[in-house]
Amino acid sequence: MTAFPPQPAIDPAGHWEFPTPVTSRLDNGLEVIVYQLPGQHVIASHLILDTPLNAEARELEGVATITARTLDEGTLLHGGDEFAELLETEGAGLGVDVSLAGLQAVLDVPVTRLDRALELFAEAVIQPAFADEDVNRHVQLRLAQIEQAQANSAQAATIAFRRTIFDAESRASRMNAGEPETVAQVTPEAVRSFHRDHFGPVGAKLVMAGDFADDPAALAERVFGGWQNPGQRIDPIQPAAAADRRRLIIDRPGAVQADIRLGGFGIDRTDPRWADISVASYAMGGAFLSRLNAVLREEKGYTYGVRMSFAPMTVGGSFAVQGSFRTDVVGDALAQARSLLSVAGSPFTQQEVDDAVAYVVGVSPLRYATADGVADQAATQILADLGQDYVTRNLEELRAVTPESATRAYESLVNPDDLSLVIVGDAASLADPVRKAGFEDVEIERAG
Amino acid sequence: MSPGSTVLSYPITERTLDNGLRVIVSSDHGAPSVAVNLWYDVGSRHEQPGRTGFAHLFEHVMFQGSAHVPSGQHIALMQAAGASVNATTWFDRTNYFEALPSGGLDLALWLEADRLGTLLDALTQENLDNQREVVKEEKRQRYDNVPYGDVMERLIGLTFPADHPYGHTTIGSMDDLNAATVADVAQFFSTHYLPNNAVLSIVGDVTPEVAFAKAEQYFGHLPAGPVPPKPQMPALPPLSGLPRMETSADVPADAVYLTWRLPARDQFSFDAIDLAFSILGQGQTSRLHKQLVRRREIAEASGASTMGLIGGNSFGFVYGRARDGVPPEAIEEALVQEVERLATEGPTETELRRAKAQFERQWLHELARVDSRADALGEYATLEDNPNLVNTRIAVVDAIDTEAIAEAVSQWFSPDQRATLIYRQEQV
Repeated sequence: MTAFPPQPAIDPAGHWEFPTPVTSRLDNGLEVIVYQLPGQHVIASHLILDTPLNAEARELEGVATITARTLDEGTLLHGGDEFAELLETEGAGLGVDVSLAGLQAVLDVPVTRLDRALELFAEAVIQPAFADEDVNRHVQLRLAQIEQAQANSAQAATIAFRRTIFDAESRASRMNAGEPETVAQVTPEAVRSFHRDHFGPVGAKLVMAGDFADDPAALAERVFGGWQNPGQRIDPIQPAAAADRRRLIIDRPGAVQADIRLGGFGIDRTDPRWADISVASYAMGGAFLSRLNAVLREEKGYTYGVRMSFAPMTVGGSFAVQGSFRTDVVGDALAQARSLLSVAGSPFTQQEVDDAVAYVVGVSPLRYATADGVADQAATQILADLGQDYVTRNLEELRAVTPESATRAYESLVNPDDLSLVIVGDAASLADPVRKAGFEDVEIERAG
Repeated sequence: MSPGSTVLSYPITERTLDNGLRVIVSSDHGAPSVAVNLWYDVGSRHEQPGRTGFAHLFEHVMFQGSAHVPSGQHIALMQAAGASVNATTWFDRTNYFEALPSGGLDLALWLEADRLGTLLDALTQENLDNQREVVKEEKRQRYDNVPYGDVMERLIGLTFPADHPYGHTTIGSMDDLNAATVADVAQFFSTHYLPNNAVLSIVGDVTPEVAFAKAEQYFGHLPAGPVPPKPQMPALPPLSGLPRMETSADVPADAVYLTWRLPARDQFSFDAIDLAFSILGQGQTSRLHKQLVRRREIAEASGASTMGLIGGNSFGFVYGRARDGVPPEAIEEALVQEVERLATEGPTETELRRAKAQFERQWLHELARVDSRADALGEYATLEDNPNLVNTRIAVVDAIDTEAIAEAVSQWFSPDQRATLIYRQEQV
């Protein structure tokens, strides 16, 4: 047996840029944004409406989601089961995405069947039937979905965390798909009226990505060109506001683990500190050997994994350290986390910055190598109003981050002594250790 | 082929090194990146009695360092090279993979070769103990602390005898995890982690010549060993006697699961049954969704899935979660009715066409990424000895007709061949 070869060096990365689309505009205002991606046989098409969730009436929150989910339950041309049967027979998949910034309908279909599938897709967006029984069923299914979410410790923690860190006036403090009280108020007429008011070509975008045989803009013109809605309303996005710091244990008696969210209000991608905080949070809680995971998982074995991430919204954002920990180590895990989160005596190093930048730059070509990867990112950029060159610009800004700028941004955003905390777990076992770990003001709440 | 079907032609080149390592290369210069994927022919079906969960625990130990790589540094070095990196363990396999800018290919291969060659040089009690705790946290997080988290364990238990290689889950039991020793790790490594018990797939921005040369450079000097005999797993007949289990827990809704023993995944009849499951329970137009969720509004969710396995049998299950106020018996009856109807009437031509079209999209979608393409090549080489199936599966599935489905269903997927799990909401 010959000796082991020495550790090889890494060759510099090849040139890569986020693909550039071809953009056109239909006469009705719909913008068509096409990414030609060789070898991508499944076309991803996103119809994007920049209707923010704050456009929902407060007492009907969830109506946007019920509207989106009922789109494919039959159209004026193909009622009942027939619509979905036609669409699925084309090998297509239709999904919807409802975020604070806007609504998306998403079609995935092999390029060989794109024409017919996109016709049906447009039909669902423009002429949905919204039969009473379909809307009412989706309301009931959403209520059942909320029960499932509340029964899941991790999801319950995430739901509680948003109402903890965002002010109660902010739409962001409540679930995107609506809370039980308001979902229960959604009627077929409310759905039809939401569609009438908000679905229209003005300000809408159609992103299409994949390996097209022919220019899909002509197809888009054929199926979306006749779309008109003179009554379409345009609603500006209302930024979320931060809530006062709060610490909370949501009691799940007998739970074998506790789900923890520790964090607060954050920033969006247009903040000059975005690249800095991306690097800093990766070093603190993004990498496998991040400061948090190296200790709490790899050294202590307290958790399957802990991470820290910043989640941007269009304006503002949030950040959290999150993980599941077995009940008997929660106190120590919190104390350790709190101490690790302080960078006062241990600023980020050049090595940490280099590794973070290398990671984000390195994963980008593959993340954006597929039709759905590109279309997802394009949609995100559109809804956050970032411009089509955002990825490339962001990579440049990342390369300019220094240990000093990362540390400065981090310290301006993360005060380890002033973070909000949500724990879902067995309160009887957790309350004392959590208080002793320095969270004396923790409140206890019954689950559900 | 059906009109509109896509014909795939991913280039596939294969060579076997002198030590028996199968190397498969597929070039794709669409992005300056490359995916490396190692399939070891070892999974939870190879575990010894009293050591359930061991193959997966071992997978964790593989990240704890080797002769030239300190603990945790495998992932750290890869991430700093811009890689996504991970590993998974399942009944039939353990796979290790990284996808990264092509300039890091040498480092990825070197790291994989180092742990295949020298893992035991770095193995310590401390590393094992730490990862044992991490795996126990993983079990709590993914199974013990989530509603319905033990369903898979119960379904497996209903479908296979307890001492069958598929009779326990990959995550294993806490007691068995606690019992695992350093000697077990060493034994497992020496038995299964051999170049001639693995498939190395390299997909992306590299030519076959260069990829084969690098595979030889980093793996060529590792010695072959005696490959362990395949577990003896003769095909079991379908279930009989209607096995049944009821349980209750703090879950938000009653649920009913019906499970079947199915043919092994390399059998034509498995593909036929897989289409039948798709027609029955996948998508909005599936029979279960239309009947239970949409028309009768008795279920909040329903579905049907197969899990393809290679050792004699696979398994599959259908399920429904009851709407408030609907007794699970009503769900059970409705599920059985639909299975019965599929067995007696068979699928329509339209349903079959739809199921094939859905399969095609999912298949193309899966292969759209170089990392999942590398994984698929390793999978079909390891389990079915034919990586080229990646290109031909669409045609194979397209050739299945309604008669083939009817025949496979009558043999394997009738109501009297089921086992039943009733999952009730605990009465507080």
